This record gives sequence, structure tokens and C-alpha cells, in this order.
Amino acid sequence: MNIGIIGNGAWGRALAMLAAKAGHQPRIGFRGTRPTGFPGTPNLAALSTESDLLLIAVHAHAVREVVDAIDLDAGARVVLATRGLAPETGEWLSDLVAGNSPCRRVGVLTGPAVASEVVAGRPTALVVASLFDEVCKATQEAFHSEQCRVYTSQDLRGVELAGAMVRVLGVALGIADGVDFGVGARGVIVTRGLAEATRLGEALGAHPQTFFGLAGVGDLVSCASSPSHPSQEAGRAVARGGTATGFVLDETRSVLAIAGRNGVDMPLTEAVLSIASGDVRPKLAFDELMRRSARSED
Amino acid sequence: MSTHLLINPSHRSIDKALMGRIDSMLDGMSDEGMHQYLADTVYLERQRFHTDGVVEGEDVQFVERLAHALHEDSESLPSVAGELVRAYSHEIHNRFSERTFGAAMKLAPAALKRLLAPSDRGAWRWPELDPGEYIQVQGPLEQLRRLSETHTLIVAPTHLSNLDSPLVGYALHMAGLPPCTYGAGLNLFTNPAMSFFMSRLGAYTVDRRKRHRLYKDVLKAYSTELIYRGAHSLFYPGGTRSRTGCIESHLKRGLLGTGIAAWQEGLRSGEEHRDVIVVPCTLSCSLVLEAETLISDALAAEGKSRYIITDDEFSHPTTVLKFVRQLMDLDVSVVVRFGAPLDLIGNPVDEQGRSIDGNGRSFDRRKYVCDRSGSVITDVQRDRVYTNQLASALCRSYQRDNVALPTHVAAYAGWMCLAERYPKLDVYQRVLLAPFERWVDRNRLLAAVEHLLIQLDATVAAGEIQSVLPSGTDRAEQVLTDAVSTFSRFHSNRALAFEDWRVLVDPKLALYYGNRLAGAQLDIGSAP
Repeated sequence: MNIGIIGNGAWGRALAMLAAKAGHQPRIGFRGTRPTGFPGTPNLAALSTESDLLLIAVHAHAVREVVDAIDLDAGARVVLATRGLAPETGEWLSDLVAGNSPCRRVGVLTGPAVASEVVAGRPTALVVASLFDEVCKATQEAFHSEQCRVYTSQDLRGVELAGAMVRVLGVALGIADGVDFGVGARGVIVTRGLAEATRLGEALGAHPQTFFGLAGVGDLVSCASSPSHPSQEAGRAVARGGTATGFVLDETRSVLAIAGRNGVDMPLTEAVLSIASGDVRPKLAFDELMRRSARSED
Repeated sequence: MSTHLLINPSHRSIDKALMGRIDSMLDGMSDEGMHQYLADTVYLERQRFHTDGVVEGEDVQFVERLAHALHEDSESLPSVAGELVRAYSHEIHNRFSERTFGAAMKLAPAALKRLLAPSDRGAWRWPELDPGEYIQVQGPLEQLRRLSETHTLIVAPTHLSNLDSPLVGYALHMAGLPPCTYGAGLNLFTNPAMSFFMSRLGAYTVDRRKRHRLYKDVLKAYSTELIYRGAHSLFYPGGTRSRTGCIESHLKRGLLGTGIAAWQEGLRSGEEHRDVIVVPCTLSCSLVLEAETLISDALAAEGKSRYIITDDEFSHPTTVLKFVRQLMDLDVSVVVRFGAPLDLIGNPVDEQGRSIDGNGRSFDRRKYVCDRSGSVITDVQRDRVYTNQLASALCRSYQRDNVALPTHVAAYAGWMCLAERYPKLDVYQRVLLAPFERWVDRNRLLAAVEHLLIQLDATVAAGEIQSVLPSGTDRAEQVLTDAVSTFSRFHSNRALAFEDWRVLVDPKLALYYGNRLAGAQLDIGSAP
């Protein structure tokens, strides 16, 4: 199977390693620095045409540019190895691909894997979600090895939402750290954050169990356990009074817009947005959350 | 106009094709799977016989022979199953007659005029009868006419009434589009004269009482065969008449999926085959013949609603005639709007029928199902997802091409004003309001209509819905008066009726007609 990976960042190279472990010879599409250790090409359109499976492993904000550059055709099988929503439009990334090309066979690959650990040969697992079985099977074949277990799911929307929510909750964890709320608060953020994600997921037709799988709890544990995770760092910076990075505001706004359209209450995500926007100080926002009326956990 | 219903196959040819298709499907099953499949057929048919009190007849004999083969004589199973398939094939297949079609289209207005003329001559003058006055046909008709010359069309209308098939048939004719084959319920064939014309106008028979997979698979095989042979087809993807009056938002995928199957067979054959194009079609009616029965059914206690209704207004010919007569006295009674044509995955197509992506670029859609060498790859799961995507595109089209008429706007306002008066009641409690409780203040209703019209103007301008509504000053008053007048013409209860300073509201009918706008996210503003 010809595997193309667009993105020469840490995650793109980690995926190339996993594909190589699974017995394939992936090629990396790059702009700028040529990859080492794997064949690479700056001709992204050619890579796209020649690949049986194309992974897009760039930041969410660059996905649109990549899709425009590679001119996908109706036969393409594309897997997004990136979390989040399209920053400017708040679209699901899978919809962005399908809406700007003829390609329909789209999937999302996510989970608790950390690039540096993959490169160090540590064991990990990923989940690939697509409406199309053939995309799931091809991705499983491409990356499943003794180092990495790849699970499949048809819950594309659930896995995409879980990925976006992990980023939002990572920021919340960073903020809580920044104001020294302690480990108990981290536990609250993780569980109540997952409850919010599950509520929204169910409203969108996603499977609740998805949020307790690799894309949800798995990824969140990985994020929460890694102080240097970009989301946590962004949260700590905000708590210190710094400016929120673009993705924090974009992501939380987009999630809340989807929640608003579906009538889902997401107080924790709203608190993250109000803090990140500089509207409310972290302590006040959390006080507000704590003053909400008592209710059942269900 | 050439009808372009190119195929008119013999029973023998259809039998052979369907048996071949079902045989190859059964060949793909394990012995255990096939046994279960046929055992389910016997079980569901026996259940139907028991429920309907059927004790003899051809259906019973076939099913009992199949049961015997299953349990006592497995060697005869293929031939007995084949007999059943042949019997279903004969029941389903009817022969289109171009002559009958042409004559019917010429004679329909005159026949209607004669049919609808009052018995006591002179008491009532029938106006010049031109259905074009009462039926508006809209959409990209020129593009569709051209595409119908080079492509096989699947017309996919929304469904409100048993009168929809003749209506769409006539609309196709008015638009200069070819006739289509379509499935019609077996109950519509019980009258020999009706049956004669229906079958020759392109209808094939669907017995919705048969709910087992073998029958459904024969039906799908038949539809696939017709499309494969180039016959323009018409399906109601909603499966049945809308019970609530809402635009369809969940479609059945069975027959819809036969388009992609037929397309792939055409590609696989290597011969020159017409590509298949899907044409959404939204029907908007000021009045619906069966409205009272349908909404009552929708509101029936859970589990009591019926998939097949045989005792509605349509089953009384005099009621149908009265209805049609009243309908034709309106300025605009029906709008048939054909939507932008789609490929089988739900992408729009251009003037030449080429698929267009989100950036307006045309592309080769064969790659959806072919590998790099151009060979068709069979993948049932993939095709199911493609059909789901087509269904989603159709639903979006239905919303965009829905035409708001005065009865819809006024009924929506009436229902919402009633909800405003009784905010603590749910839908079921509201429809059971006592007669003396069913009214709203006329001025409040007018304000609500006014508020809706302003929002509708914006949604129409955004291309999210269509409308045929009065223009100029006092629009709200015109819409309300027009709707009240229309509602007074037919139903035993009036959805809305003036009474001094208030307007009486029939909750069920207001809900039914108002539901046509349910997907447009409109509100009636706050009460003053």
C-alpha cells in the first residue's frame, strides 16, 4: 500500500515511523525542510495522486491550505491526523475536506499517542474513525504493529469532537494549574469536561462510549499527564495573564457555537472562553461554576 | 416530445433478469444464511396471512410450498424460491404504453373538466380549465430537459398525498420532461380501469404488506434493472406520505440505493450506458386531501400509527372529486419545484451532467467506485454511505425548495399563537383542547403573520426557502384572509376561521399545515 503523509512535523514523522514498523514505506510530503530517514517530496499533489492512503498531519489551521494544494479526486482516501476544528469557519475538518474537494472517503486518526514516545519506540494505541470501512481497514493495515494498536470506529463525529474537546479541556487544566487549584480540581475538570463532551456528542448523534475510549479519556489522560502539552501550556499562560493563542479562542468558540445550535449547556467550556478572552479572571470564572445550583451527576 | 421511457420490457425478459439477480444474491449467502432468509419469508408471510385473515390463494400456496421445501425437501428449495421470485416479478412489473401516456396527457384536462362538472347544469360554471393555472412548475427545467436526453433520471419527490403521483406525472409533462416509472401501492390497482391506466402510465406494483426481505430484494432488483436499462424512475424517498405535514428529514435508502447499483452495473458492463442523475422535487400544496387522517395518525398513541393507511379520504372518490374541484378554484394551489440535479453521491451536476465539487470544479465521479485502472470495485458498505450522503443532500434540497404558501404561514402562526396562549401544554395536550378553548386573538395572529413574513423574506433572500405569497401593503391581512378562505373549502374542520375579534383554530390541522415551515426556524415574535 502506498502511504503518503503530508506534514513533516513531529507527528508526521512519528506516523511515518509507525507505518514503517507496520512494514510499509511511507513518503512524507513537506514544505520547507526535507525529512530525514524517509523519502520525501515537496510535490504534494503528486503524493496525493500516487497514495492509496493519504494522511494529513498538519495543524488544523493549515488543513484548508493543504486541501487546496493537493487537488484531491473522488478516488482519494484521506485520513486527518490532526485534532480540532477548522479555525476560521468552525467546520469539522472532515467536512472541510469533503466540502472543498470531491473526496468523500475521509477519516480521522487520533488517540493518546505522543510523538516523542512513538519515536522512542514506546507502545501506544490509536483510533481511526470513518464512515467508510475501507478507510478504517486501510489505516489499520497502515499503522497496526507490535508498537501500536490501531482500533477502528464508525463514529466519525464523536472522535472528531473528542479531539476538539481534549484541546479545550487541556486549556482548562492548564488554567487550573496556573491558579494552583490542586489535583482535585483537575479531577473535576476531567470528569465534568467529559460529561459536557458526551452531552454534546449525543446531541450530534455520536456514541457516548466514544468519549470513554482512546479519542476521549485516552487522549485526555495523555494530555493531563503531560505538563508540556501545548493546550496545558496555553492554559497556564492565560492564567498568568498572558494572551490566549489563536487556537484556544477559535476552538472554544467553535465548540460553543455547535453547542448553541444544538441547545447543549457547556458551562466549563464557556468558562474557558471567558477566561481566555480576558473577560473574567480565572478565579471568578471558577467561582461562578461552583455557585451553579446543585444537581445529579447523571 | 419523446417520452424517453426507452424500455418496455416483456414479462419474460424481466423475470429472467430478476431471477438472475436474486440467484446471484442467494449464491453469495452461506447455506445457513439462505435458510434463515427464506425461513423469515415464510414466517412474515404467515404472520401477514394470519393478521389479514388470508387462508387461500396464490400467495398462500407459494409460501406453503416454500415452507415444505425448507423443512422437508431442501433439494427443491432453489426452484421453489425461483417460482416465488417469478410470481413477485409478475406482480410488480407492468408495461408502460407510450400511446396511453400520450393520449392521457392530451385528454387529462378535458377529462377532468367533464369529471368535475357539477351534475345540475347551469347552477355552477366551471372556469376555463387549464391545470397550468393551478399548478406551478418551477426549477431548472431547461437543464433537466437537456439532461433527460442524455442521462437516466431518478426523480425524488417529497410525499404528501396519494394524488402526488398523477400530480408529478402531469408536472413532468408540463415541464417537457419524460414520464417516469414509479411504484404505486397495490391498493391503487384494485379498480380495473384505474389499474389499466396506472400500469400503462408507468406505474409498477408495490405491495407494502409484504415486509419480508425477499420481496424487498425483488423490488430493489426490479428498480435496479429498470434504471440499468435506462428507464427514468420516480421514488418517494420518504417511503410514505408525510404524516405530520413536515418536509421529509429522514429518508429510506432501499430504492434510493438502486441508482448507485445500476450505475455501477452500467460501468462494469463496459458498454455505453447513460449515467444516472437524481432530481429532487418538492411538492407544496395549499390543501392536502388526506390532511385530517394523516395528522390524526401521526398523533396516535405511540405504536398505534399505521404505515399503510387504506381508509383515508383518498378511498372515497366523491371526496377526491370535491377536493380537486375546490383546489382548482384557488389562484395557486400547488407548486411542484424541481431542485438542482445531483449525482448519486449528492454532488450537484452542471449543464452537461458532470459532477461539481464544493469549489465549483467538475470531476470524474467514476473514481468513487473504480480503482486506478478503471475497474469497478464492489463495496456494499461504501455504497450505503454514499446513498446516505445522497439522502442528506436531498433533504437539504427539500428544505431549500420548499415553497411557503399562505395556508402554511397562517397555520404556523395560528399554532404558535395557540402555544403562546397555553404555554404549559405539550403538543398532545394542545390538540385536545376543548372547542371553546381553541381560539386566538385576531390582532395577535395578524402580528404573528407579519413577523413571520419579515423572517420569510430574509430566508427567501438567503435561498433557504421559497415562497408564493401576496406582495404589497397589508400582506399579513391578505395572507390570513387567503388562508382562511382556502381552509373553508374542503376539510370537515377548518384549520382557521374568523369569528368577530378572534380566530378559531383547529389545532390538528393548524399543526399539520404549519409543520410545512417547521424546518425554517421561524418565530412569531413576542405578544404585545
